[in-house]
Amino acid sequence: MKFKQLGIFSKASVIWLCLVIFMVVFGQWIPLPQPTNFDIDAMGVGLFDSLKHPLGTDSNGYDLLSNVILGARPSMLISLISVGIGGLIGSTLGIISAYKRGKLDYVVNTLFNIVLSVPALVLGLALVAVLATNPDPNIEVPTSRRVVVIILSLTIVIIPVLGRIARGATLSWSNREFVVAARSMGMKDSQIIMKHIVPNVLPAIYAVAFLAIGVVIVVEGSLSLLGVGIVDGVSWGSMIARVRGDLEYAPHSMIVPVVVLALTVIACNQLGDVLRSQLDSREGRL
Amino acid sequence: MKSTEPLKRLAQLVLVVLGSTFLVSILIRLLPVGLEDIYVVNPDPAGRAREIRNLGLDLNPFAFYLRWLNGFIHGDFGSYVYPGPTFVPVSQYITRTLPVTLQLIFYVQIVALTISIPLGLLSAYKVGTRIDRFISNGLFIFSSIPSFVLALILAFYIGVKLGWVPPLGYAQPFCSAEDIDRANACGIREHFKLMVLPVVSLSVPLIASYTRLLRTDVIATLREDFVTMAASKGLSNQRILWTHVFRPSSITLFTSAALNMGGLIGGALVIETIFSIPGIGFEIALAIASRQYFALQAYIAIIAFGYVFFNVIVDLTIGRIDPRSRERRQ
Repeated sequence: MKFKQLGIFSKASVIWLCLVIFMVVFGQWIPLPQPTNFDIDAMGVGLFDSLKHPLGTDSNGYDLLSNVILGARPSMLISLISVGIGGLIGSTLGIISAYKRGKLDYVVNTLFNIVLSVPALVLGLALVAVLATNPDPNIEVPTSRRVVVIILSLTIVIIPVLGRIARGATLSWSNREFVVAARSMGMKDSQIIMKHIVPNVLPAIYAVAFLAIGVVIVVEGSLSLLGVGIVDGVSWGSMIARVRGDLEYAPHSMIVPVVVLALTVIACNQLGDVLRSQLDSREGRL
Repeated sequence: MKSTEPLKRLAQLVLVVLGSTFLVSILIRLLPVGLEDIYVVNPDPAGRAREIRNLGLDLNPFAFYLRWLNGFIHGDFGSYVYPGPTFVPVSQYITRTLPVTLQLIFYVQIVALTISIPLGLLSAYKVGTRIDRFISNGLFIFSSIPSFVLALILAFYIGVKLGWVPPLGYAQPFCSAEDIDRANACGIREHFKLMVLPVVSLSVPLIASYTRLLRTDVIATLREDFVTMAASKGLSNQRILWTHVFRPSSITLFTSAALNMGGLIGGALVIETIFSIPGIGFEIALAIASRQYFALQAYIAIIAFGYVFFNVIVDLTIGRIDPRSRERRQ
């Protein structure tokens, strides 16, 4: 699929995600006010009101543009890493169990169902709360440990989501003629999986992985809002959580991170959707 | 085949409940801080040992789980434990908070379905036209806005700025003597006024996904022969859509609506916290924040149980909605 053939919505989504990735990679070298420095002369500056603070400041005088740009890194890294690892583990389990069928498939499918039976947010919240506790409740858990725990929890949440997709796709592909032919010619199972199953299952996984990134960004935001996310960092979710009470004095300080987060989720959903509909039409032609 | 299939399914669902409660049970024993350090503050060694035994913390994780399971089956959902030790049974919280959440979820589902069914039928009927594209794209954008974001924005603009409804709080639909005594907000009018914002913020993302599911299925059904037949008999389009097309197309929609119930509790958790509605989600967040892990275990067990319950409901009702699926399974 070429960029030119995409619809206007998808083009905008690709451009926006490229911009976000640019922020993730080069964010810290862009000459901007420090996100943690508050400007005492400019508290609650409105949107586009000042050249020094293009997106304004919140009621504490923190520069919103730099916060949004530097917030891209924790938000995106958490979701990319957890979807990446979760997807890898999940689809490996799903493909192998669906290919082997029988008892293994039953066990893996039951495990997926067990994890799915607890809503993602409740599971994430419970895992973070349990794993990131300190013996003394008055001492904050270090941010680095919190980030690791959050990634771990979200990975666990993602594994069955992508695993099920991989399992379903493998079930339908492993009965196709070319797979049966390969098996009858004595090809090894591991080779069949790598050569014939994986390339066919991957597009379905990519499509859902994009949707999953959107979900994870939202769950991370919700965790921050509930006070167990990255508390002192500057992820988009924690920005929203921090300015929650200031909506009356500086409404734009909430609107800015909200719009950025929503746009990213929209872009991920849109691309996931395009991939999925392409897949359907390819299946239709067969 | 025919008779063992439902049993197998049931066995798997029982395994799911056992598995998820077991994992939670293991999880709380894995805490970096031992549970005994959180709950047992008795300085006297003999008293301390007795309290630890009371909580079952001297047992190994498996025995600990079996003890919990035995209690759960017999209706003992565990307790909030406060230093002292004081025990407050979780069941008394559950009977208070679960109805509130179920009520909220029920409203959300009703609103989402009443809006998405006509929209889905319309956009499938007009597939490819400007109306279809408008509905699909519009809903797509709305569905991508996280519900907590929507909740915060609505609470501010509608609740605070415009002042049409109170921005947060909860009112019982029926006034009890206690409510009148304490001058709590209560009554049907107050109740619905306070429920508007939470319900809207939870149902908007659902409307989008429901409309979409229905649209896809309706498009497929419209190609069936019996639709052509009905049209050639001269039935009106309205009648064909509602009586002939809607029913066979609604399976995916109702399945996903039923399976969403569990996920909605997760969504309700954030929304209840934002609007301070005393439901089970709010209580879960509180239990986690105040380190009441025994209570957390009970809440998660109930949610997993609900997930399985709705799975069974779906299995039992699909055959009724579309008899064709019964044949296909056999």
